[in-house]
Amino acid sequence: MCTAKKCGIRFQPPAIILIYENEVKGKNRQRIMPVRNFSKFSDCTRAAEQLKNNPRHKSYLEQVSLKQLEKLFALLRGHLCGQSLATTMEQIQRETTIDPEEDLNKLDDKELAKRKSIMDELFEKNQKKKDDPDFVYDIEVEFSQGKLQSCGWDTDSADEF
Amino acid sequence: MAGDRTKPCELDQEKYDADDNVKIICLGDSAVGKSKLMERFLVNGFQPQQLSTYALTLYKHTATVDGKTILVDFWDTAGQERFQSMHASYYHKAHACIMVFDVQRKVTYKNLSTWYAELREFRPEIPCIVVANKIDADLQVTQKSFNFARKFSLPLYFVSAADGTNVVKLFSDAIRLAVSYKQNSQDFMDELLAELENFKLEQKEEDAPDQKQSGKTKSPSLS
Repeated sequence: MCTAKKCGIRFQPPAIILIYENEVKGKNRQRIMPVRNFSKFSDCTRAAEQLKNNPRHKSYLEQVSLKQLEKLFALLRGHLCGQSLATTMEQIQRETTIDPEEDLNKLDDKELAKRKSIMDELFEKNQKKKDDPDFVYDIEVEFSQGKLQSCGWDTDSADEF
Repeated sequence: MAGDRTKPCELDQEKYDADDNVKIICLGDSAVGKSKLMERFLVNGFQPQQLSTYALTLYKHTATVDGKTILVDFWDTAGQERFQSMHASYYHKAHACIMVFDVQRKVTYKNLSTWYAELREFRPEIPCIVVANKIDADLQVTQKSFNFARKFSLPLYFVSAADGTNVVKLFSDAIRLAVSYKQNSQDFMDELLAELENFKLEQKEEDAPDQKQSGKTKSPSLS
């Protein structure tokens, strides 16, 4: 058993590096997991899955999410494409967050599914499931509507809300 | 159901005339959480019926209102909202509407006016609840005012399909409103349309006397 502390990527030679704490000794250790057969055309999700399921690394990576590994591989891919780190970061940000201004009604099935899966992350994080020990079916909360601020989405014009 | 697949046009909406049946529709943009709200409410077992020809998901539920058993059909879209317009049959005979937006996305709030206009075109009087969903993402929004609800004097509920806040209350109240609307329906347009429908059917009967549909379609209001 180990407690993951930090996980990052080294570009040259490419490797995923995990800083973890060995429970017995309570001391930080470093594990270098070389990345092989990865090019700028590789699929980051698949690479992340393969590493996470690698029998040699599996137990160390239990606490590292697939999403984080995917992101690290995306950084590497950006580097292999010759992009600056800032450009790649921006790209990742765009692909992993929701643009609140975007009208999702206008997307095709595939793009909509992508956005939904991004939203599902937060949903699942905050979700209270039926099988959770502290699940309560009927939760009523009254929000005091005393001093209200405007939501900022209404316009001042009388015709609009 | 095989029957639904082979004869999609026979989605029976006559049953919504019966006293113990109500139809509640859900409106709102893509990905505001309409289906997730349904699933949270019906957490203890639901079998949604997919009617793909209508881009529709139907959830059946049995509720008790004032000691009476009520059969509720919740109509949820299966992607049709992406055309930003629903098929007329979606609104047909609906007794209440749940209109949802995502507190994280302004555009879904702005689009409420389009949904509301379409709703009122088909159902001028049915009760409608505005739902601010995903408050788990940002509890601050519960301290904010949303003029859309105020402008049309609609109740506004702050809910979260994820953690369950106010979901059961929302649906219980919607059912109650649907039942009471049905009992005291003052929807003049609806009655007018119903009579027109009957009128047409009666004419048809005269034209084709061997079509045995009298009795079933006659409304008691016609004398």
